[in-house]
Amino acid sequence: MGYKRKKSESELEPEIENDRKKPMTQKEEKEILPSTIKNKEKRSEVHAKLKHQKKLEKRKKAKARDAAEKRALELGEEPPPKMVPRTIENTREFDETVCKPDDEELFAGNDADEFGAILKRDRTPKVLITTCRFNSSRGPAFISELLSVIPNAHYYKRGTYDLKKIVEYANNKDFTSLIVVHTNRREPDALLIIGLPEGPTAHFKLSKLVLRKDIKNHGNPTNHKPELVLNNFTTRLGHRIGRLIQSLFPQDPNFRGRRVVTFHNQRDFIFFRHHRYIFDRKESKQTDSKGKEAKDAKGEKASQERVIARLQECGPRFTLKLTSLQHGTFDSKGGEFEWVHKPEMDTSRRRFFL
Amino acid sequence: MPRITTLECPGCPSLRALTFDSLGLIKVIEAKVSQGGAPRVVERWGELDSSKCVLAASINNRKDDPLLAVARKTGMIEVLSAINGDIRFTVSNANEDGPRPEDDAVVGLHLFAGQKLELTSRTCTLLTCTTKGNTSMRSIEVTNSPAGFASVGSSNTWSVCGSGNILCSKVDGSEKYAIFGGKGVEMNMWDLDNCTKIWAAKSPPKNSLDIFTPTWFTSSTFLSKDDHRKIVAGTNSHQVRLYDISAQRRPVTSFDFRETAIKSVTEDLDGYTVYVGNGSGDLASFDMRTGKLLGCFLGKCSGSIRSIARHPELPVIASCGLDSYLRLWDIKTRQLLSAVFLKQHLTNVVFDSNFADEEVKPSVAADLPLNAEQIANETEIVDEEEALPVKRKKASKEDERRKKKKAMKENEGNKEASKENNGSKKKASKENEGSKKLKSKKSKRSKFEIHDES
Repeated sequence: MGYKRKKSESELEPEIENDRKKPMTQKEEKEILPSTIKNKEKRSEVHAKLKHQKKLEKRKKAKARDAAEKRALELGEEPPPKMVPRTIENTREFDETVCKPDDEELFAGNDADEFGAILKRDRTPKVLITTCRFNSSRGPAFISELLSVIPNAHYYKRGTYDLKKIVEYANNKDFTSLIVVHTNRREPDALLIIGLPEGPTAHFKLSKLVLRKDIKNHGNPTNHKPELVLNNFTTRLGHRIGRLIQSLFPQDPNFRGRRVVTFHNQRDFIFFRHHRYIFDRKESKQTDSKGKEAKDAKGEKASQERVIARLQECGPRFTLKLTSLQHGTFDSKGGEFEWVHKPEMDTSRRRFFL
Repeated sequence: MPRITTLECPGCPSLRALTFDSLGLIKVIEAKVSQGGAPRVVERWGELDSSKCVLAASINNRKDDPLLAVARKTGMIEVLSAINGDIRFTVSNANEDGPRPEDDAVVGLHLFAGQKLELTSRTCTLLTCTTKGNTSMRSIEVTNSPAGFASVGSSNTWSVCGSGNILCSKVDGSEKYAIFGGKGVEMNMWDLDNCTKIWAAKSPPKNSLDIFTPTWFTSSTFLSKDDHRKIVAGTNSHQVRLYDISAQRRPVTSFDFRETAIKSVTEDLDGYTVYVGNGSGDLASFDMRTGKLLGCFLGKCSGSIRSIARHPELPVIASCGLDSYLRLWDIKTRQLLSAVFLKQHLTNVVFDSNFADEEVKPSVAADLPLNAEQIANETEIVDEEEALPVKRKKASKEDERRKKKKAMKENEGNKEASKENNGSKKKASKENEGSKKLKSKKSKRSKFEIHDES
């Protein structure tokens, strides 16, 4: 409808609402939006007042909710259903590319893609790691840690070779993947993962790198093949990225090693973590000492023990964000992209691609 | 509440499109105005097999019994009925002594609509071209037996290039000439009647820095249906070139488009507009007479555009590519009409122009005046363009609209009616939206005044 009309309505509505809710409060203040006051002192005053009121209301609401829950528990009734907070993730924009488990085309497509041979264990992953032309300080340290994370990874000096030549070389040497760590101002800032022999090429932005020695109470990884956890790769593009990452690691982990590598996707950021874990028995002391003593006397202590998993981080720790996925191996000039991040995609905070 | 922006798609007119993907599937997408114009997949032909990846496809838009030719990665060429997907016959493109089909993939395929072969409708002629440049033209007699047995009537094979790889080929509207081009192969034109090369391009000179860009054509098309002399070609060095074989061997005009390789070029019916799609998903239309960008098609497209198709009648183009969406665009407003997610990397899209719904007819009729108006506009543009520069054209057009509207208002004097008019005209053009808005504001203001008074 018309622009004029809308404006007048939106101006009217809050006044009416406020009047209904709190007829007790002063009318003059309520009618004016704090943002329309030009005097800064006055404005901040009114704003603070409003904020305080809101806080009080919120507290009141929470108290009422708690009380209702308590009463329900005492009466032995069903407690009122817990509210689910609204987050950006669970209000994500509808995406039709999210994979469904009953999609036969998806599985046929997966079988036919470039990683099929590795994931079916026809080929063992062999990874070549190299850097950009100029490389020092944190770059080599990061690479030495990557070498400890990824089994069967080999570091080659970059020298002055073209990346296309390196791809060719790696193909001849029967590598299955190529990782290029790009460093800017002595700080790794990008990661290029190329599937060999025929792509795809994923370009990631790398941030928040924390090396092993900077992690408190870090552990040292063993030489066992790690387990791999990939979280939240839901869409078609996400699946592809997930499979690309999966193809870096051997498909037969040594579970004895109790070593796990996690790629966790959240809001299109991929968080990398590397842990050792141990299953431990823990006595739940709280239940022993406090209430339910009658039960405690009867039950054995063993029943109170729970199995928990304890984690120790091994590092490194970093975050990846996909900037482009190219079809085929690295080709900056004539390459075809399967997905490129474009600024026009950033029109909503609730739109995610992985 | 979270503010979720939904992509508003106005829906498209009744049409039928066929897409081909890397798993060897053919999907039929139909949009019906009666169902809101939302296109959906109605049929899926073929089984899931990545070795049968479709490399090239061609349709002959005949009124009766339209046929579809599909070249697969295995070197087989299937000819199907475009209506129900029945395989009529298959022929193998690989010859016994030649290279294997994996090394010598089919890049160009054309199924002749067959004006000259009208007498014997049971024959169909195919032109195929492979990466190595082995081109063959064969006409195939279709026997009536259901097994799909076909006999090769006559076959004509020649090679279009000595070295290099052919990447694109196209047959012109009269189906007498074909162009070929590729990596290391300059554009060249062949006369199909007697298989002779009649023209070859010359690479452009070195630039001011003495740098020579190697020849690498990735896409090509004829500029208009009935003129085989003008060729538009896209190169890997993101350049679009116009060749005129009657003028010179070097490009007449050439211009750059963005930063990635041009992957597809398609001509419009008007004979001067081309649609250009590149490797990072940008789609734009260009006026080839001036080499000026007419406008980009924006719509969050992020995968390489492999194929663009222009609808033979409606003002609609379809684009598809590696982002596995089929997108339908309005060519006048350059707005996204709708997008369909098809799950696989798409290689080709074609329109079936003979699709029309009985139930749709009335609504089509309702749309007709709109179309007619557009056509009228088009002709006006053409008339004016000879005399006027580009900028004034728009202004004059808007003026016309304004006049028209005023006339309407005076006639009807009824605001509701004029509003409806607004609605129906929304589709027509976005160019004059500004003026429209002004007008609607005015009308609303007047409304308010009336309210106040009452």
